[in-house]
Amino acid sequence: MMERGKISGLQMAILLYPTIIATAILLVPAISGKFAEQDMWLSPIWASLAGFLTVYIALLLHNHYPELTIMQYSGKIIGFIPGKIVGLGLLFYLLHTNGVVLREYGEFVVGNFLPSTPIIVITGSMAFVCALSVRGGLEVMARSAQIFIPVFMTLFLVIILLLFPELRPANIFPVMDDGITPSIKGAIVPSQWFTEFFLIIFMLPYLRTKEKRMTWGMLSVVAVMITLVITNLFSLLLFGDITSKFTYPVMSAARYIDVADFLQHVESIVMAIWVVGVFIKVSVFYYAIVIGTAQWLHLSDYRPIVFPIGLLLIIFSTWVAASLQELSHFLSTVWPFYALVFQLVLPVLLLLVAMMRKKAAENDN
Amino acid sequence: MKWAMVLGIVVIAVLITLYEWPKMNKNQKKERKAFAVLTMGSVVLAVLLVYFPDMPGPTQLVDSLFKPFGKLLEK
Repeated sequence: MMERGKISGLQMAILLYPTIIATAILLVPAISGKFAEQDMWLSPIWASLAGFLTVYIALLLHNHYPELTIMQYSGKIIGFIPGKIVGLGLLFYLLHTNGVVLREYGEFVVGNFLPSTPIIVITGSMAFVCALSVRGGLEVMARSAQIFIPVFMTLFLVIILLLFPELRPANIFPVMDDGITPSIKGAIVPSQWFTEFFLIIFMLPYLRTKEKRMTWGMLSVVAVMITLVITNLFSLLLFGDITSKFTYPVMSAARYIDVADFLQHVESIVMAIWVVGVFIKVSVFYYAIVIGTAQWLHLSDYRPIVFPIGLLLIIFSTWVAASLQELSHFLSTVWPFYALVFQLVLPVLLLLVAMMRKKAAENDN
Repeated sequence: MKWAMVLGIVVIAVLITLYEWPKMNKNQKKERKAFAVLTMGSVVLAVLLVYFPDMPGPTQLVDSLFKPFGKLLEK
């Protein structure tokens, strides 16, 4: 057994929530705002359907092979060599996406807070901290998330409360002026954040109890949906139809906060939320890469390859794009389809083949 | 300055090796191989990127594969 730690259903939900929210909270309002305008607060609701579907499919796949992860059962489902090819593609996707996340984090910190620090220092130190937590194992990651998430939630609520007096409720009208279509268009890109729930596949075999897995997974999707609806609604009520002109609407919203000329510069709280969230997000992806690689190569232990993969991760974070503009263009055009293929289409195909195999085996008997 | 960056990359790789190598058992041959290949590969890639920062990377690969779909969301 490679992973000795065990986590509970609640801990799984707590690990998944920031994995989706961390980057979504900053980027989604601008992206849905571009397509959905004043209906952007409806978009996360449509997008969450992709999340529910992903969790459901991951659980069905898991029920076919309860002890194995996707790296192991893909070989059993579609044969040894095709399974290895699928596994390699998946590892490449995870490494690439994690590089993108790390780069986004670096660009955000450099762009807003530390303009003269080289980006490699910021991404490198984050990768190092994440490497330590991944080396500790899934249980260590779950426990650190358990400590950080209440802080994360409290800070988010503080921002929301402080923004309340600035809101202009009239911005929400007219609701569904052009029907339902714009809000669905605004959901296409954010739905790919929800399919990141696919990472549940790497945690399911290490759950302590088998009950309530579905409930915790779905609850996590609901929590993400509510958070994103609130974020989008607040950006909309604050900025109206100029939301999509900002790169990070939530950041600009926090700059607005000014209570009696006394409480200012609250954007540092957004920064704290972002660092905590990205730490967990990068760790979860990183963990999936490391355990996936170890299973792909049939190693007996995943810990020796944690640091070498961290090195690779830093390389990818500088390699993915030449500039922030190039990166955000990639993220809003090609990435949704790329993510869809690996996070939803691939598990669905695996599930269909597994089900057919089971049928065929039953018929033989 | 480029030689300093290369030196930095090599120093990090050496530090990782010094930390991990003694922790692996004699009979963990496969782990040692995987570790060596991954570390060497990363160092080579990093040094290449120091000298050719515009080398086409993973994003260009994915871009060329998914281009027809990407056009749908262009706005």
